[in-house]
Amino acid sequence: MRRTKLLQTLAPMTALALLSSGCLSDGGSTATSGTGTGNAGKTVEIMTGMTGDNLNALKVSLDPYAKEQGITIKWSPSDNFNQLIVTRVQGNNLPDIALFPQPGIMKDLAAKGRLAPLDDILDMPTLKNSMTAGTLEAGSKDGKLYGLMASMNVKSLVFYPKQAFESAGYEIPKSIPELLALTDKIRSAGKTPWCLGIESGPATGWPATDWMEELVLKYGGAAKYDDWINHKTKFDSPLVRRAAGTFEKIAFTDGNVLGGRKSISSNNFGTAGNPMFRNPPGCFMYKQGNFVAAKGFFPDDVVADIDNRVGVFGFPPATAGGDNPVEGGGDLAGLFSKDNEAAKKLLQYMATKDFGAAGAKTGAWLSPHKDFDVANYPTQTIQNIAKIAYQSTGIAFDGSDAMPGAVGSGSFWKGMTGWISNQQSLDQALKAIDDSWPAS
Amino acid sequence: MLIKTINAVLAVIAGVGGALVLFWVLNRLVGLLPGRWEDRLKPYVYIGPAFLAISLYLIYPAIQTIHFSFANADSTAYVGLDNYTSLLGSAGFRSTLVNTLLWIVIVPAVTIALGLGIAVLADRLRPRAEKLAKTAIFLPMAISAVGAGTIWRFVYATNPPGEPQIGVQNAIVTGLGFDPVNWLQITDFKFNSLELMVMLLWAQVGFSMVLLSAAIKGVPADTLEAARIDGASERQIFRKVIVPQIRGTIITVFVTVTIGVMKLFDIVYVMTNGDFDTNVIGVQFFNELFTNFNNGHAAAIVVMLMIAIIPIMVYQVRQFRTEEAGR
Amino acid sequence: MSIAERSVTRPAGSPPAHRRTVSRRMRHQGEATPVAKATVIFICTLWVVPTLGLLITSFRTKDDANSLGWWTIFTDPAALGRLTTRAYSEVIAQANLDQAFVNSFAIALPATFIPLLIAAFAAYAFAFMSFPGRNTLFIMIVSLLVVPNYVALVPILQLYGDFGINGTFPAAWLAHIGFGMSLAIYILRNYMATLPKAVLESARIDGASHFTMFWRLIMPMCVPALASFAIFQFLWVWNDLLIALVFIGPGENEPITVAVKGLMGQQGQGWQLVTAGGFISMVIPILFFLALQRFFVRGLTAGSVKG
Repeated sequence: MRRTKLLQTLAPMTALALLSSGCLSDGGSTATSGTGTGNAGKTVEIMTGMTGDNLNALKVSLDPYAKEQGITIKWSPSDNFNQLIVTRVQGNNLPDIALFPQPGIMKDLAAKGRLAPLDDILDMPTLKNSMTAGTLEAGSKDGKLYGLMASMNVKSLVFYPKQAFESAGYEIPKSIPELLALTDKIRSAGKTPWCLGIESGPATGWPATDWMEELVLKYGGAAKYDDWINHKTKFDSPLVRRAAGTFEKIAFTDGNVLGGRKSISSNNFGTAGNPMFRNPPGCFMYKQGNFVAAKGFFPDDVVADIDNRVGVFGFPPATAGGDNPVEGGGDLAGLFSKDNEAAKKLLQYMATKDFGAAGAKTGAWLSPHKDFDVANYPTQTIQNIAKIAYQSTGIAFDGSDAMPGAVGSGSFWKGMTGWISNQQSLDQALKAIDDSWPAS
Repeated sequence: MLIKTINAVLAVIAGVGGALVLFWVLNRLVGLLPGRWEDRLKPYVYIGPAFLAISLYLIYPAIQTIHFSFANADSTAYVGLDNYTSLLGSAGFRSTLVNTLLWIVIVPAVTIALGLGIAVLADRLRPRAEKLAKTAIFLPMAISAVGAGTIWRFVYATNPPGEPQIGVQNAIVTGLGFDPVNWLQITDFKFNSLELMVMLLWAQVGFSMVLLSAAIKGVPADTLEAARIDGASERQIFRKVIVPQIRGTIITVFVTVTIGVMKLFDIVYVMTNGDFDTNVIGVQFFNELFTNFNNGHAAAIVVMLMIAIIPIMVYQVRQFRTEEAGR
Repeated sequence: MSIAERSVTRPAGSPPAHRRTVSRRMRHQGEATPVAKATVIFICTLWVVPTLGLLITSFRTKDDANSLGWWTIFTDPAALGRLTTRAYSEVIAQANLDQAFVNSFAIALPATFIPLLIAAFAAYAFAFMSFPGRNTLFIMIVSLLVVPNYVALVPILQLYGDFGINGTFPAAWLAHIGFGMSLAIYILRNYMATLPKAVLESARIDGASHFTMFWRLIMPMCVPALASFAIFQFLWVWNDLLIALVFIGPGENEPITVAVKGLMGQQGQGWQLVTAGGFISMVIPILFFLALQRFFVRGLTAGSVKG
């Protein structure tokens, strides 16, 4: 009987496990990292946090090549990616490739020696020329590349209702002061300049962290932004306070935001921008990442006619014509074993500059290569978004995704939510975030 | 796919049958022993397989957890009682404990009251109506946590004033001419926690109803008839005949729901993730483990839960004794 | 044994039985007062309304669901005309649902009935046998219910890795057996404790073995408790996402929860698909509940004890 046998075999295991719990493990470095190598049948498991259209776009780009090479890809998508990868790595049940949406965990695994460096596998000089500035750095740890960006997103975008915006004679601001002036101008005309919503279920607050990151990046530049992400600059610092001040001016001034300050924390980020497309528009600007211009967020009729109805500009720099880094993000492909030939092949293919033409045509995927042919993107709007990234002085990875989880998906979200919903002061919020930074 | 279906059926047969054969064989083997030994060993034979499963899936992890609770965030060095002192020393965690306590005080009692009420009332209906009523109450149990979150979004959602409301409560409020209310952000009198409790009640009353209903059906009809003939009112019958006989089940449900509430996670996580002072210990545990990657804190929280359960179990032991005496 | 005999052996504290009025039929069934009826109807309506909202939403277009309350279909006939089954067809097209359905069954059926049987034996021992350490063991088993399943995931995953069963059905079965065992023992033991011990004593005198008594006497009397636990265990296993994600994961063996969850986007787009997927996956547990409901009929326990 199979069951009896199983029980018999499990019994000594239990005893063993009980005994072995007598001493602490050394953080999992006793890894046998063998699970990733045994791909005799050339099946490559790719774990990813990408789902839906975004994932499909990647699939149509990668699957034909894999098939050609005789590799079967086992896609393991899950929006519980972070939980799952942490559990599976600790449980020593590794996929072959993982696409990390947040570099924090990836770097952590790299530091523990669980990921293979990609420098020897990929053609680094070509890659350095081809990738948008900042995207390689986002996947690097101690000078070595561990995560290759396989899909890019752009955050520094402001959407507006094209016809209404243009017929009112508004001009695209070229600096933050111009943006503030435009805000005042719209408000004094008796209209509402901004839509703003940060509700996102368990992740409530993240759109507000994007705002803060945007402003810190524009005011401080890429280097100071990095210092901040690594906590060399505290949250309670002049730079962050300056950013908070500008955010406060935009979001808390009466009449600036549809529904006022009190509605920000309960307004869902996914639909907050939709009043823009009413006639007359409920608001004129909505800052959000590129994903919001896809099916599922803006109303279907707007998405269907996106080039005529939606305008988009890059969030302006601190001073007109000044240094203009762009905030973005992406999914970073990490490799668990350097001896995994099939997985290596897939990564090498993903690193080529033309990779993703098929996926780009779906409109749900952006290439991180600045020399990628933008004609592949199906709409003018997406081409504009891609160009904002490709022509920037560099991509700075979404700060909250790059900070330790305790801050980036914890106290930073909660602090911003608390401050905006007026349950704590800015001082309290900044201090709480600083205090939550893990000691290491 | 057909093969898979057949395999599944075979697995059920093989699994259940295998377990049966196992018990039968063990039973026989023990039966071969001299009588005294047989009586001594048999209980352990019956408990054995269950205990094995529990050792592996609960006891071993529990021991490891106790162990990790004295170690640092990634379990690489001992830190003594630091995890406990730093948790208990933080105001945030203390208010989390208060919230959890509130849940424990309110939810199990209300779950029992509602479940018992429905079970008793439905028992009086015609069989078809009874079935319908019970299915209505049971319905929410079959909905996944994600689905439940979506449903309640359409109850508590808040859009900016002037915009159409997609949440039922705000549609009513704005229909009456008021501004929409941020339902889940009302911290006065822990109102938002109470709203989340409503969600759990909605989802869990089916549990208590099913168990209590089964128990009520087990109350022998003759005891009820006898009381009726003696002229007892329905209310008296409920209090003096039914409740004493299903007391054991009530306690079972109470303890089960209490334990469920102690480690409650999904509803609070999906709706607020503990923001606006709604945090509970289960969410805190989850966030320590998967957001903060702090094994030490997470383990210490579980150990505190294990300690907190002791009073409830002491009560249960006392209950055993009464049962034993009365049987 | 007869019903009358059972009532003699009720636990202390229950009122004395009057044997002269032994009645097989529940005469009061169907005799609810109007107030009672109204109360039931009221509560049931409250309970069903949110689900109704979800059902309606699953038939709406995404834009409607995002911008207008679901109840507006009752006030605005135009919205009625926009109802669509697109969410359902999308779910079915995208999620490979028929496969996932079979997988869910393949996981849920063994994971329901195997622990039930194992737990019944253990519960019997706890309820009717005396042995040293009985209370201590029982308390330990129940106390462990407070330990969140998350703490077991990593060690179990390592163990499974050693056996190479990650991603297979037995991996999920065993996990559900382990995690469901405490509650099953607790519920069954407490139910058995309410059964009259005298019944066992007399059977024992007649020379019946524990094994016989378990099968012939106790199991039939436990049918309502077994049925209720089966309902819950099935439901939990069917709706489980965590164990399925960790031990089976997406792929050919994925159950319906994983398949549906995979439709949701990173930023939460596609939740209109979740409503449709949610309804599809709800059907089976409800049917299971309805099927087992017939074990909650009065008299069944007593009747089956006869003979």
